[in-house]
Amino acid sequence: MTDAGGASPMGAVLVVGGGISGMTVALEAAEVGKDVFLIEKNPYMGGRVAQLNQYFPKLCPPSCGMEINFKRIKNNRKVRMYTMTQIKSVTGDAGNYEVTLETTPRLVNNNCTACNDCVGVCPEERDNDFNFNMDKTRAIYKPHEMAMPMKYVIDAKACTKCGKCVEACKYDAIDLDMAPKTFTLNVASIAWSTGWNPYDPAKMDNLKFNESDAIITNMMMERLAAPAGPTLGKILRPGDNKEPQSFGFVQCAGSRDENHLEYCSYVCCMATMKQITYIRERYPEAPIYVFYIDLRTPGKYENFRAKLMDDPNTHFIKGKVADIVPEDDGSVTMVAENAVTGEKIRQNVDLAVLATGMEPAAQGLAAGFGAEVDSNGFIVSNEDKAILSAGCARKASDVVTATQNSTAAALKAVQASRR
Amino acid sequence: MQINPDLNFIKYLKGAGGDTLKKCYQCATCSVVCPLSGDNKPFPRKEMIWAQWGLKDKLVADPDVFLCHQCGDCTAYCPRGAKPADVLGAIRAYAYTHYGFPSGLAKLTTSAKNLPLLIGIPAAIILILWYISGGMHLPAGEIDFGHFFGHWDFKYLAKTTMFIDIIMLPTVGLALFSAYKGVSTMWGKMCEGANADPVWRPSCGKFMRDFLWPSVKEIISHDRFNECGANKDRARGHKPLMLAFIGLLIVTTYSFILKDFIGIVVPSLHGPLSLWDPFKILANVSAIALIYGIYILWTNRSNEESESGKKGTFYDWFLIYEIAVVGITGILSELTRLAGLPVLAYFFYFCHLVSIMMLFLYMPYSKFAHLVYRTFAMAFERYRDSGFIAGKSEA
Repeated sequence: MTDAGGASPMGAVLVVGGGISGMTVALEAAEVGKDVFLIEKNPYMGGRVAQLNQYFPKLCPPSCGMEINFKRIKNNRKVRMYTMTQIKSVTGDAGNYEVTLETTPRLVNNNCTACNDCVGVCPEERDNDFNFNMDKTRAIYKPHEMAMPMKYVIDAKACTKCGKCVEACKYDAIDLDMAPKTFTLNVASIAWSTGWNPYDPAKMDNLKFNESDAIITNMMMERLAAPAGPTLGKILRPGDNKEPQSFGFVQCAGSRDENHLEYCSYVCCMATMKQITYIRERYPEAPIYVFYIDLRTPGKYENFRAKLMDDPNTHFIKGKVADIVPEDDGSVTMVAENAVTGEKIRQNVDLAVLATGMEPAAQGLAAGFGAEVDSNGFIVSNEDKAILSAGCARKASDVVTATQNSTAAALKAVQASRR
Repeated sequence: MQINPDLNFIKYLKGAGGDTLKKCYQCATCSVVCPLSGDNKPFPRKEMIWAQWGLKDKLVADPDVFLCHQCGDCTAYCPRGAKPADVLGAIRAYAYTHYGFPSGLAKLTTSAKNLPLLIGIPAAIILILWYISGGMHLPAGEIDFGHFFGHWDFKYLAKTTMFIDIIMLPTVGLALFSAYKGVSTMWGKMCEGANADPVWRPSCGKFMRDFLWPSVKEIISHDRFNECGANKDRARGHKPLMLAFIGLLIVTTYSFILKDFIGIVVPSLHGPLSLWDPFKILANVSAIALIYGIYILWTNRSNEESESGKKGTFYDWFLIYEIAVVGITGILSELTRLAGLPVLAYFFYFCHLVSIMMLFLYMPYSKFAHLVYRTFAMAFERYRDSGFIAGKSEA
């Protein structure tokens, strides 16, 4: 879209969070001519979608839809992107906010060409949080295969400032003395697209997440299935790298539960079904057991569900797993009552996947900066205050819904900026 | 399948502490976290949906309802706050009324509204008999509750003993008859529910040996209570309380035999036991255990209610109050007797008699009924899993 009227924008938009929703808000607002500041806490854009192996609706790898968005951002001079940046304070009111931001030093500057020479000499290791700590990287590392910006980063907590990488770098790209940077922006509206975190599975003490390597979360499964993940796309059991002979899925692990997340996280049913297809590609005959309360497969996804249920080796059991027993041979036994037959089931599997839900990531933070937060921690859009919410910061949703309501949030941000 | 929901039954459950039952969405977490539930047809998930559907006939014939010890683990893990433990408690309260005989008296025991009658009837009976006995005056000299209902020279049966017998024996008789009737009806329904063939039954001796006695042993050892997670602390109150009742039962039986039978031959046995009589020591120790036990259960329940903000039910509190009053009036009448305060001693003794009569009279209909119903449900559980039934279903 061309810049409407060519006039200078009346007010800029601050987008907090650079996942699929934040990028959508930023692009939709920028492509109608608004100045947009897009900030992201991580050293890379893309958020949770970047961690997926495939995503709905078409089961594309994230390199697909993401790459188009990255290109649009790179080509649009209206979007100014700041990684490793967080809000420090917000003052003012609708149409006239003054926001102070702080950028954590990346310790790597724009000279970086991602040649990888530094990694070879770095003696320190860190847990790779992108892969949910299932593997390690050096203290200087590439955030992930298709990171945007394609720049390395140094984990200041792991780095001992030995200087070996500085010597190895041919491009003078490493600056171990880089200081944090604080700066101020004037914006008309703020769009929160801070997304979600996987609900902490350790909080469900009966599911024993920390007591066995055979219990993983659905997001860990995404990384195990991803070609660039810790197992290069093979689905192996963490810890002993065994090829699992059987799989179990624990639906509603923390969702629809007033002791944890009160709401339905919306995506976990379809995520599990998607992950069944990952397993089937690699283990065509392995028995899979899905324990559920209800299945949420909206619209055309019903066909997807029906196809999976036709598989004689995939068993859907109505009944929530309320106990998992780690066994000596590394497997786990899932205990549930089949609510249809009334029998208690003890199903032993080599790998149990907890379909953990979505917890809004920035609830406390956003509330502290003037955003309205509902009882579940989701951010409520307030057009009068020109504080908007988009994507999973607004409600638990899939990528399609998130990008739709992000477009809506962009429109509201534009309107708020014109007032 | 045709479902005929009993709406009044659902309403009753909601009023009796099961107000959360409609929140259940059948995830079956409860059946897994319940430490007492077995692998075959576990509870309380199925009871929750039966209760939602108002299927009272299924529920009153369901041994699992009585096997529940209200540990509360299901309630702690319930994702919906449906409180299965409280719902099952409400179903038990309903079942005791359902099986209660005579039904008028059973219904009377369900509501705090009826407290004036519940206290008034035993109080009036004892008061009238006291008046008739001519013993209604302050004693001269040392206080002897053996002369509470007066004294005569007929040496084979003391006057007071006779009056106590007139009050308590019919009361206990009614309670035992009602409990027998209720338990045998329940047993029949449970057999129907389990498809047991009534032609092939265990003998009385085998029933006692294989089913009832092991259950009693299990109850005394508190094995199931000890498996509880969330409300583990209740065993700390229930155990001394139960042992106190056993102790007091022994003392009462001893005293009954002594005064009503041996007394006929050896008249000198009338009169209070010495404080150093082993049975008196047992009685006093039991009294202290009773008060300690009921104190624990009382504070547990009131803490639990103030923490959860839920309102207590008459069903739960009536038994706690009854036992507390029995214990306190018993101790106070003994102390005031020893202190030589005749007015107070007689007053507390009167209250003590009234509270004991209430405890016996309402036993089959109040929460106290768990004493018989749960015991027999535990026996039924053994029966159900024995060759008498388990073998049948395979055939």
